Amino acid sequence: MSILVVLLSLAAGAYALAVIERWAVHGHLSLTGPAWAALALLGRESLLARKSDRLFFELGPVLLLVAGLMAVAVIPLAPGLIITDLATGALFLNAALAYVLVALIMAGWGPNGAYAMIAGWRFLGQFIAYAMLIVMPITAVAMRAESLSTVEIVASQEQLWNVLYQPMGFILFVVAAMGLAWLPPLDLPDATGELAGGVEAEYTGVRLAVLRLARMVIILALAGATVTFYLGGWLGPWLPPWAWSAIKILAVAAAMLSVGRYMPRIREARYLALSWKLGISLALANIFVVGVIALVVPI
Amino acid sequence: MTLAGAREGAMSGIRRAVAAAMARDLSAFVLPGPSVARAMGLDLAGSHLRLVGTPRHANLLIVTGPLPAGLRDAAAVTYAQMPRPRAILALGAGDIAPLPDADVSAPPTRAGLRSGLADLRRVIAAGAFRTDSGEFTAPALEVRVEYTCPMHPEIIRDAPGDCPKCGMTLVPRETASDGHGGHGGHDMPQEDRPSPAEHAHAGQAEDAGGAGAYTCPMHPEVISDAPGKCPKCGMFLLKAEEGESHGHGHRHGHGGHGHGHGSEAHGAHGAHGAHGHGDHGGHGKQQDHSGHDGHDGHDGHAGHGGHSKAAIDGIEPHFMSMVELTEGQPRSSDGLQMDWIEVPFGPFFPGLPAGLRLTLTLDGDTVAGSEARSLVGRAELVDGPQMTAGDFVERLAAMMPLSSVAYRTLACAAIEEAAGADPGQDARRGRAAAVERERIASHLGWLAEFGLQSGFLWLAARAGALQLAVRDADIDGIAAQAGAVRALIRRVAAAPLMRMRLRRIARIGKDAPASGPVDRARGGGSDARAGDPTLIALGFEMCVREGGDALARLRLRCDEIAQSLDLIAAAGRIAVPEVPDVETVSGEGAATIETPRGTARLRVKLTDGKVVEAELDTPSDVNIALVETVTAQRELGDALAAVASLDLSPWEVRG
Repeated sequence: MSILVVLLSLAAGAYALAVIERWAVHGHLSLTGPAWAALALLGRESLLARKSDRLFFELGPVLLLVAGLMAVAVIPLAPGLIITDLATGALFLNAALAYVLVALIMAGWGPNGAYAMIAGWRFLGQFIAYAMLIVMPITAVAMRAESLSTVEIVASQEQLWNVLYQPMGFILFVVAAMGLAWLPPLDLPDATGELAGGVEAEYTGVRLAVLRLARMVIILALAGATVTFYLGGWLGPWLPPWAWSAIKILAVAAAMLSVGRYMPRIREARYLALSWKLGISLALANIFVVGVIALVVPI
Repeated sequence: MTLAGAREGAMSGIRRAVAAAMARDLSAFVLPGPSVARAMGLDLAGSHLRLVGTPRHANLLIVTGPLPAGLRDAAAVTYAQMPRPRAILALGAGDIAPLPDADVSAPPTRAGLRSGLADLRRVIAAGAFRTDSGEFTAPALEVRVEYTCPMHPEIIRDAPGDCPKCGMTLVPRETASDGHGGHGGHDMPQEDRPSPAEHAHAGQAEDAGGAGAYTCPMHPEVISDAPGKCPKCGMFLLKAEEGESHGHGHRHGHGGHGHGHGSEAHGAHGAHGAHGHGDHGGHGKQQDHSGHDGHDGHDGHAGHGGHSKAAIDGIEPHFMSMVELTEGQPRSSDGLQMDWIEVPFGPFFPGLPAGLRLTLTLDGDTVAGSEARSLVGRAELVDGPQMTAGDFVERLAAMMPLSSVAYRTLACAAIEEAAGADPGQDARRGRAAAVERERIASHLGWLAEFGLQSGFLWLAARAGALQLAVRDADIDGIAAQAGAVRALIRRVAAAPLMRMRLRRIARIGKDAPASGPVDRARGGGSDARAGDPTLIALGFEMCVREGGDALARLRLRCDEIAQSLDLIAAAGRIAVPEVPDVETVSGEGAATIETPRGTARLRVKLTDGKVVEAELDTPSDVNIALVETVTAQRELGDALAAVASLDLSPWEVRG
């Protein structure tokens, strides 16, 4: 039952995100727009690039979708409303999202096009920038909750949300999550002006629809993770828990989708340098500070 | 009406719904580019279209303005890349062959765009699926198959078979159909036969080495006492010595050879590197390898000692070692070996000037080489033996769609100079203001393009909208927009990550020839307006920025926008020049103008009121030469930002 509810809310969330993305990218706010766009995509030819690596080309978008769905499985929307409450949920989320890299490299390699291929490899570089900054803030969150279970992590924020308890971790995690979901200004693998769509460039029709849906699911999973780890999950006054989850997740996703509209894309070399020199130092400091607080002031 | 690019299938109920969705959700790819459409005053972004960056995601191809001949083939390829159902909307495009006929044609005006899109939606809704939909193949995409040897790329055959040099089975590959003409040369007999020198050497090796094992150049584990073919790949087995002296020797390593004094031994062998890919030399030869000493005596082979220098000190060369495998291949500046690929960007690449064909040789994602070429370069200025002054002015203005007012003004000024006419102070002020207005629009257009390229979408949308609002505004209209334009400039200056994106990108030294903002953004430079008394009277002072990089250029363009707003306000009127009346005058005249991209000079010769000769220097002619410098050894994204920062107009480049 809860699986069905989560999947239905996921579908609704993905649609809401598509509305927001259209507004962020094309500047049109239309509630029915994504429905028309999806229908139109389904009617279009789904071209197979010449001399493509068929297996990688077909599997890339599907694997991306699977990775996103697996990540969603450990996001609690309300007490009891979660697909599976793994004892190692936070770790599982990270493991599931590791396949995003594999899927994107496959999707980039598959069509045998220069733009897509460069884009796929670019994401490999991007992975090196964001990977540690996903794991290290999660470590600090798990330290406070004394558990890797996502439900426990939400419960641990009853007194004080982690966004206030470890603000540095929050910022690092959100930025790394945007890198993982290749959202602007960290959208190196599908940079329109540099690679004409990059990984997406050779996909059309149904395959493109799957690719776009998969990306929405990944963004939702990451927004859900941000809410679970830092914004108290379903916790909140007056409204029912599921409503709080929905509001928070959509707000975080909308913020992640639209912030890149107001700044140029980062340079890859600069992104790597910042992530390692600045990001990892701050993440280590965050772990240290959280450790000290957890020992000294038990809240 | 029917849709030329319909998808095959009967129009069933569900397809009707899909067709309606397609008619609603138009994703357009614009030719030659959104920047050209904006310069023509067409507001595509505000027409309920989605503008996409790749034809794969488009179902509508919009052609704005006459499609230059140099872009026709690329346009057909673009159309062929679009998934069906696909449609073409031609806005004042005229002849677009080899593209199929446009599904809807309309004049290139705002009203034409509106009505054209409405018609097009009807056509798509009615005919997105048809049982008799036709095929379309772009002429440039037709391919044929030829057969080549994996080891000897110079061997090319029309039919399958074995390589005459090494006996390997030829492998098929596809090639563009237009290669037919030059193809014959590949079959030249002397190419296929081993050269006399090679034969000679093979014999020497045999003498020197005595009876040795035969082995395959590709599979060193295959060893035979008698000559023959490799059972694995079908190549002729070679004597160990011959294998090495042969071009592919570098692949099979000679396990027993130490790292000894490679230079002498190899100097002797080097002559056989003439084989094309024969640059081996990573492995030196051990002295005690009997019979080899004899080679040192072959003075005739000397002079290639350099090959052995590639052996890296302290690294033991081994079979299949990277040092050997990558020997002699081009190497990146960081010493890493990667596949080099040649990637074409343009002429319709989002984020590069429309009409520019940029071919980048990519080493990983670093640019190892670049070539910029305009596919829309200008033709002869004077069409035929002579032209009337009016035709000449219109022709020049139409040739430069990105800054037609400036070139129109330039043409009028040069003709007046030749005829000795004086337009008067008021007209001069009005013209100057018109050129300044175009400068604002052009710089805003550049900002919009930069926003698109760098993913700064707010800037792309806002600057594009302001460009459309400013480009034909009157003096009150400019005053009304001034606040919004200045706000945009402030916002650009304060945008996060902007400095990080552009600083130290595309640095240009003071000695390289450059024109316009590119010139003035390196702490000095020239501006034709500095010598124009009309503009000086309006309070013109040359804007200069230090740095010479892409960031300085961005800031300089922003400064110039602000300055041009002031100049227009001071001028008090905007007047695009009328064609001067030069009934029967003869004479020569020259004029100089600062276009948005830099200084343009025009010299015309009039005979009996007709233009018989004209010569034009444009800023893009100068600046296009900078592309190679600013992209060299840059990461791909930086290289594209660098090219964009030059603000080239391919239309200005000599064709």
